[in-house]
Amino acid sequence: MSTQHSYQAARPRDCGAPARRRRPRRTLVLGMGNPILSDDAIGIRLASALKPRLEDIPGVDVVEECCVGGLNLLDVLEGYDRLIALDSIKTIGGVPGTWYAFDGTALRETMNLRNVHDANFATTLALGRHMGIHLPDDRRCHVVAVEIADNMTFSESLSPALEAALPRIVLDVKTHILMTLVT
Amino acid sequence: MTTQISIDPITRLEGHGKIDIYLDDDGAVEDTFFQIPELRGFERFVVGRPIEELPRIVTRICGVCPASHHMASAKAVDGCFGGEVAPLAHKLRDMYYQAHFIHSHIAHFYALAAPDFVLGPDADPATRNVLGVVHKVGLEIGGAVIGSRSKAQEIQRIIGGRNTQDIWCLPGGVAKGLKPEELEQIRPWVDELYDFTQFSLQLFRDVVLGNAGYVDIIVNGPYTLDVHNMGVVDDDNAPNFYDGTVRVVDFEGNEICRYKAEEYADFVAEHVESWTYLKFPYLKKRGWKGFVEGIDTSLYCATPLARLNVADRMATPKAQEAFEEMFTTLGGHPSRALLANHWARLVEMVQNAETLKRYCDDPEITGTEFRVIPQQITGEGFGIVEAMRGTLTHHYTCDERALCTSANLIVGTTNNNAPIQMVTKKVASSLIKPGKEPDQGILNMIEMAFRAFDPCYSCATHSLPGEMPLQVDVFKGGELYREFRRCC
Repeated sequence: MSTQHSYQAARPRDCGAPARRRRPRRTLVLGMGNPILSDDAIGIRLASALKPRLEDIPGVDVVEECCVGGLNLLDVLEGYDRLIALDSIKTIGGVPGTWYAFDGTALRETMNLRNVHDANFATTLALGRHMGIHLPDDRRCHVVAVEIADNMTFSESLSPALEAALPRIVLDVKTHILMTLVT
Repeated sequence: MTTQISIDPITRLEGHGKIDIYLDDDGAVEDTFFQIPELRGFERFVVGRPIEELPRIVTRICGVCPASHHMASAKAVDGCFGGEVAPLAHKLRDMYYQAHFIHSHIAHFYALAAPDFVLGPDADPATRNVLGVVHKVGLEIGGAVIGSRSKAQEIQRIIGGRNTQDIWCLPGGVAKGLKPEELEQIRPWVDELYDFTQFSLQLFRDVVLGNAGYVDIIVNGPYTLDVHNMGVVDDDNAPNFYDGTVRVVDFEGNEICRYKAEEYADFVAEHVESWTYLKFPYLKKRGWKGFVEGIDTSLYCATPLARLNVADRMATPKAQEAFEEMFTTLGGHPSRALLANHWARLVEMVQNAETLKRYCDDPEITGTEFRVIPQQITGEGFGIVEAMRGTLTHHYTCDERALCTSANLIVGTTNNNAPIQMVTKKVASSLIKPGKEPDQGILNMIEMAFRAFDPCYSCATHSLPGEMPLQVDVFKGGELYREFRRCC
């Protein structure tokens, strides 16, 4: 098996993306999910609710809706020192509305090939860093994951249990993010 | 007594599937089932909405191939408004779509296919990923992969205004054209993408074809099926990803049928099984005959390899050379070697890049007549494109106010549902033998069977699973007696 291949292509930063995307920034708050797939939208709903409070904080960018995964995330995360991803989660026996906070080190266990279309989150981050792309390190990739009930039905509404819990979750997560930002 | 083994490749930020393998008392494979969670209610979700909104809504179905849904939907909506489309809009859509194909194929080849061949199918799962590939072949190539992806995505953004969740296609055309200065920005990247397709082919030659064992697995391994092939072709029977007629060719190379988008319901039907929500398309005029191979089967594949199998030639010269090399190596055209889907993606990428170059040299491409304003509501439209993962069909109806009254979609991977089931069982049966419990290498080789299809199921779902990425459960008498998980 040959390992001597050489390729002289330009590095990603030469591909012509706008200069503003290359300027180092501090924190990206990212609402992840699908806005028309019931509870899958919870990360987007949270980011939308928190944006007015967070967007005036210096060095903080809020992207309300991100529905890409895999290697595409490199384009989203490049240049940031810290990520706060708001997403949904399904655990066995989990109660909808419960939320969890962890960082990128917890994702290491999924670095093997488990994504049926693309690289998974942890692999994408590791690859990007390996390529010299400025990305948050694992301890600065904060994930807030909200337990959900239904992410399989097309709907613009959350499930009733999650909708009822949303005001409390917004308050909790806002406090959590503000605490994270001062660390 | 039946033993059940479950392979549950839960993923983060994407959908997941599960393989159940049932063993008999001797430990031989009795049956397999590939099960996936199916998204529900899309047809109901869109009824009553303005039909012109659907191309923007359908991009939410799939986080992996949103542009494919956008294009098929746009064509169906064009039909609902009488079908007149600015000729320049067709060119621009096609140009955009070539870049989207390259973007997707790069990710699949380097993130999914390459680990199995560069590192080996039985490599440590902890390193069998794109990062492991980069460690093996060099940092420079990793940069080229990421850089080429970015270029393909930037080309989409410049042509269509956005690089994901498209809002560009409108009834009768597109929302923006391509300015001369934008074309000049794109042109050098297109040349670099072409170079990268040639590099990728050479890498495949060196790493895969240079290994006799890999060639043997591809050509002679259990990853073959005697089912037919489907793909969209142009008037010369060359692959066309954006427009053309659907051609179905049997695995011996004989044409079974060809149809236009509006005729799809006469040629394709869907079978339902009680154990899965996902339907099983088949050739309607042959009738459902079950999960069977053979010249009389009604099952077909709609994959990159199937697209090349139904084609008599490629549409561009360098792609034609790659096409001839591939089928010569595989022992003839068409081929049943499903792992050659990875190779077929590289051949397709060459045509994509060459087509992009042609558009860059087309003096009309920077024109301004990129939309025809619809003057009528005709109430029904059909859109067929080749998604990266297979033939994609959208069919809509609307009322006199242009509000959607029905929608029917047959997505790329659904076409392949039955073949995926069958090849999974075939591979499992060949690898799992009495007295030998499956190890990580065997489990991965079973996964390779469906990974060749690049299946795209519940990819619009982004929830974190909260479980280990792969779990194997062994049941005896309906009770769990052994459990082990794959982690790095």
